[in-house]
Amino acid sequence: MSHPIVSSSPYAHNNQNVRKVMLQVQIAALPALMAHIYLFGYGIVIQWMLALTTALVVEYVMLKLRGRPVLPFITDMSALITITGLVFCIPPDAPWWIVVTGSAFALIFGKHLYGGLGYNPFNPAMLGYAFLLISFPVQMTQWTMPVEFTQSTLDFMQSAHYIFNGHIPGVSIDMYTGATPLNEMRTGLSQGVSIHDTLNKELQTTLWGLNSWAWINIAFLIGGLWMLYSGVISWQYPVGFLGTLAAVSMMFNLIDPGLYPPMDVVLLTGGTMLAAFFIITDPVTASTTPKGKLIYAAGIAILVYVIRNWGAFPDGIAFAILLMNIAVPLIDQYTQPRVFGHKR
Amino acid sequence: MIEAILIFFGLAALFGILLGYASIRFKVEGNPQAEQIDKILPQTQCGQCGYPGCKPYAEALANGEAEVNLCIPGGTEVMIEISEITGLEPKAMDEAATEPKPKETAFINEDLCIGCVLCIKECPVDAILGATKMMHTVIQKECTGCEKCVPVCPVDCIDMIPVEVTPKNWKWPEPNKASGGDQ
Amino acid sequence: MNLFTPIVNLLAKAHPSAKRLMHKFNGGVFPKYNKSLSASQPIRAKLIPQQLILPLQQQVGLPPEVKVQVGDKVKKNQLLAQPSKDPFKALSVPVHAPTSGTITAIQPITLPHPSGLEDQAIILEPDGLDEALDNILGVDGTVPESPLALKEILLNAGIVGMGGAGFPTYAKIPNQRGKIHTLLINGAECEPFITCDDLLMQTEADSIIQGALITAEALGAERIICGIESNKPAAIKAMQKAAANNRVEIKVVETVYPMGGQKQLTLELTGVEMPHKAHAVDIGMLMMNVATYTTIYRAVTFGEPLTSRLVTVSGLGLNQPFNMHVLIGTPFSTLAQAAQPKTELNYPLVMGGPMMGFKVANNDVPVIKTTNCILANPPEPVEMQMPCIRCGDCMDACPVNLLPQQMYWHSQAHEFDKVEKLNVFDCIECGCCSYVCPSHIPLVQYYRHAKSEIKEIHAEKEAVELAKQRHEFRLARIEREKQEREARLKAKKEAVKKEAAKAPTDESAGKKTSSAAAAAKAAAAKRAAAKGQQASSTEEQTETKMPSARLKAIEAAKLAAQKSVKRETSDADTDTKQDAAPMAKPDPKAAAKQAAMLAAKKRAQAKAQQTAETTDLTQETATTEASEKESARKAAMQTARAAAKKRAEAKADKTDSIGEEEITQPNPPPPGKTPKDGTVDKRKAAMEAAKAAAKKRAAEKAALEEKTVKTDSADEMTDSQPSESDSATSTDNAADKLKAAMEAAKKRAAARKAKQQADEQ
Repeated sequence: MSHPIVSSSPYAHNNQNVRKVMLQVQIAALPALMAHIYLFGYGIVIQWMLALTTALVVEYVMLKLRGRPVLPFITDMSALITITGLVFCIPPDAPWWIVVTGSAFALIFGKHLYGGLGYNPFNPAMLGYAFLLISFPVQMTQWTMPVEFTQSTLDFMQSAHYIFNGHIPGVSIDMYTGATPLNEMRTGLSQGVSIHDTLNKELQTTLWGLNSWAWINIAFLIGGLWMLYSGVISWQYPVGFLGTLAAVSMMFNLIDPGLYPPMDVVLLTGGTMLAAFFIITDPVTASTTPKGKLIYAAGIAILVYVIRNWGAFPDGIAFAILLMNIAVPLIDQYTQPRVFGHKR
Repeated sequence: MIEAILIFFGLAALFGILLGYASIRFKVEGNPQAEQIDKILPQTQCGQCGYPGCKPYAEALANGEAEVNLCIPGGTEVMIEISEITGLEPKAMDEAATEPKPKETAFINEDLCIGCVLCIKECPVDAILGATKMMHTVIQKECTGCEKCVPVCPVDCIDMIPVEVTPKNWKWPEPNKASGGDQ
Repeated sequence: MNLFTPIVNLLAKAHPSAKRLMHKFNGGVFPKYNKSLSASQPIRAKLIPQQLILPLQQQVGLPPEVKVQVGDKVKKNQLLAQPSKDPFKALSVPVHAPTSGTITAIQPITLPHPSGLEDQAIILEPDGLDEALDNILGVDGTVPESPLALKEILLNAGIVGMGGAGFPTYAKIPNQRGKIHTLLINGAECEPFITCDDLLMQTEADSIIQGALITAEALGAERIICGIESNKPAAIKAMQKAAANNRVEIKVVETVYPMGGQKQLTLELTGVEMPHKAHAVDIGMLMMNVATYTTIYRAVTFGEPLTSRLVTVSGLGLNQPFNMHVLIGTPFSTLAQAAQPKTELNYPLVMGGPMMGFKVANNDVPVIKTTNCILANPPEPVEMQMPCIRCGDCMDACPVNLLPQQMYWHSQAHEFDKVEKLNVFDCIECGCCSYVCPSHIPLVQYYRHAKSEIKEIHAEKEAVELAKQRHEFRLARIEREKQEREARLKAKKEAVKKEAAKAPTDESAGKKTSSAAAAAKAAAAKRAAAKGQQASSTEEQTETKMPSARLKAIEAAKLAAQKSVKRETSDADTDTKQDAAPMAKPDPKAAAKQAAMLAAKKRAQAKAQQTAETTDLTQETATTEASEKESARKAAMQTARAAAKKRAEAKADKTDSIGEEEITQPNPPPPGKTPKDGTVDKRKAAMEAAKAAAKKRAAEKAALEEKTVKTDSADEMTDSQPSESDSATSTDNAADKLKAAMEAAKKRAAARKAKQQADEQ
């Protein structure tokens, strides 16, 4: 004790840790998971379990290869958040190898090759998703139809059968899969059908005048609000993202309602809420300064809108996020807060 | 065809003039490389590089006459900086010079000193004080720790002693990197 | 605000960070305060331990000089150690005996410092009688009329800031009246566990207020504002009562850590954001801790020095936490034992609070003037450090609005220049960032490490620059010497030639002495014509063995030397320009001095090898002595040279009169004080001042010397050395006392040797 290792104050802590933060994010995703199961069947559960197994194997192997202690890092829950984000983006009844390659790619190339947790410049989930979307566009755009079209969802065994074997005995899968509303709108527009007509034709409502995709988004919103409340995420991300997206979509919808979808549709379709609360809030890859967070989120919103309406992909969230990830160092550089006592 | 050739010649001439003007207008005086190197050298003036001081070594480096790994007090860090400035290939430091030593200063054992003034003549920064047949002493603040005075002392009364750590110059140690911290 | 408060309180129920909206600075944290542990206990009766350990250095700045000896009996309040140098510069404060007893030792002990290093301390064994000397400061109980009078009392009372940093209080006070318009009282005490200020305000509100009023009176401050955190209702009440009939304003501030930070509380109380790098004095404000004000009150009214303070002894590992007026020097372990630890105290105690305190290296370290709390928290399992996930919580918590994670990033990569650019020196090390970090990264330690590294880098840079200058100066000197030698050779040749023409028989004698003569002329030429004549005639008279032909040679060489000196003057001039580039003006006068000095040196060299070395000493002494003052170094060199030149002139007489006698040169007077601040501007100013002062002194000394030389015999000359150098040492106002002592010892030894030699001869 005469010469202890010098440890510096403070000797107090608020008892928060990385694992708790990650766990809270995971818990916040539960409402969406429930809604997903109700609306699209058990596909997502199978996908999620597949992804989890893949993640555990990949994490173990990668940590071993990198010579890092396995236990603390495999239990830091960051991989869990990555695969959760990814699984929500994958069609619930996509073939098993989609999710396996996707999550393996996300973790290996999106995280470990950059040096592990905290060192990756790109959002791993979005990197995995972008990789899948580019590599397997057909499988990635065949979404399971929600319950309001099919009246019943596939049960667990059916989904498992389909995911692993590609067919379900005695059931025509075409009944259960189709394009997402965003895709429909795009196709509709290219055939000269206005947004109005597409929406009226395609979107049957389930509850309270909202369709299934809207419900999923609302489930994410609920989880997200809880995270905001518990201080897991900064308010700047959802506010910047949703605010900008709402403003932009409202403006364009006013200009030409036939060409641009209304604000509520924009906010409640695709992965808008998922992105707003779960993906862009990943602190590792996001901007860190208060102003920077707003700019980062707004930038993503604008890119999402641009890609959705004028780009080649139905939903541009993954690419928008990856593009803004690149801009993070620049944003951080120019949005440094004024230090106490310094002049601006 | 003719126009294209003319345009190209015109452009060539224009850029030539621009470059020529720039080379005159923005001419850099002197040999900045030697200055730059001199700046990063530790200025112990120890002469261990084989040159009479830091500046001559810097000049020799700038002229490409010296190796980059001769500065022993500077160690590997300075060697790398030198190679960055000169663009020369970094070279491994000789033998024991790789580990940077803690800063030491010379101390004269005053009971042994015979006052030969040899060390005074040797000191590159005039940091030794004394006179013939009187004991000498080292001004600690001025001493660069070059060790040049040590070999010349006929009675071996000069010791190199590490600078004492007091609460004033004590440095907070770097936190232990967590076993999990990457890189 | 009235509408705003309930809204935020409502929000805070949902999310505690909402409380951050309630105060003016950014961030802050809301730790578990645990204040009731010790605040609910009454202040315990004084305890006189078996041994008091009084470290000499209890504050920033230099340690004072011990005034007692082992075995001395001392009484309470007696002065034990006193600043030896100009205390206003050295930031040194005296140490007084906290109780009566015997000094048993003066030895190094482990300091209550994060480094756990050792330093000298006075060990006092109390006799239990607690006999006190009253009013040792000799005050008459009236309010000091000027800030200077107040400063004098504060210095003699040994008062340092008692909130934590321990900056000597007198050093915070400006000399001019009216410079401080607002006096601030820091009663925030935001650190968890600590309650000593709380209890002090409850029990001694009047003396705090009086202390503040005295200070305000002396400084001419118009406003007095006291800030107290809202979680101390009893203290607020007591203070409000004490301030009811005077001009002290009591302001209740939000309970948030680090509200007690000087800059944070200043902003909160006055709305003024202290500019970067500015001191509170620069904006006309002065903030002191409540405990400091009571000590000021006691010192000014009763003449009591600072020998005890209220200390909180608390922590989760203690059964009976308490507050106590603790004698300075009481070991931590004694106090912790008095609080009945739950388990054996086999873990390090913490001095200060959990947010900014530090673990002591040894539980027997003494309470010092800045110890406000002794904390005994049993060690908790340490959470593993995870990589930074850039969550930005640290940034939200930082009260100074820094970018903690980017600073961490760069300090981890050892890119200290970038850390510095991110304003790491604005960091107040409050610990908020580490407190909230979910990855449990010891951020504050990274910044502390980075700060020490950056400081060292700067110090090294300065040292390198100094070494370079000194080396270049040396090269220039060698070059000059070479030119000098050539000139001398030329002069000698001409002299020989002329002499050969005139008196070929005396050639050998001329050869032997002409070089000396030529050099003497070089020196002589610089003197006034009349003086030169006198000097040469003196030489003539005293140099009995001088051949008659030499006189002629001298006359001849004089002309030649004059010429060569002129040339050298211009040479030296350019030299000076080169090596004294940063100097304000390399005037030809200085150059001439150099030339003269060198000429003198050459002459001496030619005389005899021994004498030559003496001159070497002259130069070495002049140069090196002067360079002790790093800041005034250049100026010192110039003055040293001036002194050397004058001495050389004097020696022209002296050396000849005493023949081959060994001579030691007195040291030139130190040319200036070391400016505490290392800034270039200040240094330059100091340099100019030092130069002027030193020139004057050198001139005086030289004059004195000339007299001495003329009247005194050689033996007396050497005998006078120790006393002279001693006096030089005592007047030496250089920064380092140790060095001075060493120097003195050396000089004494040198003088002894010289005397021996003289005796031999």
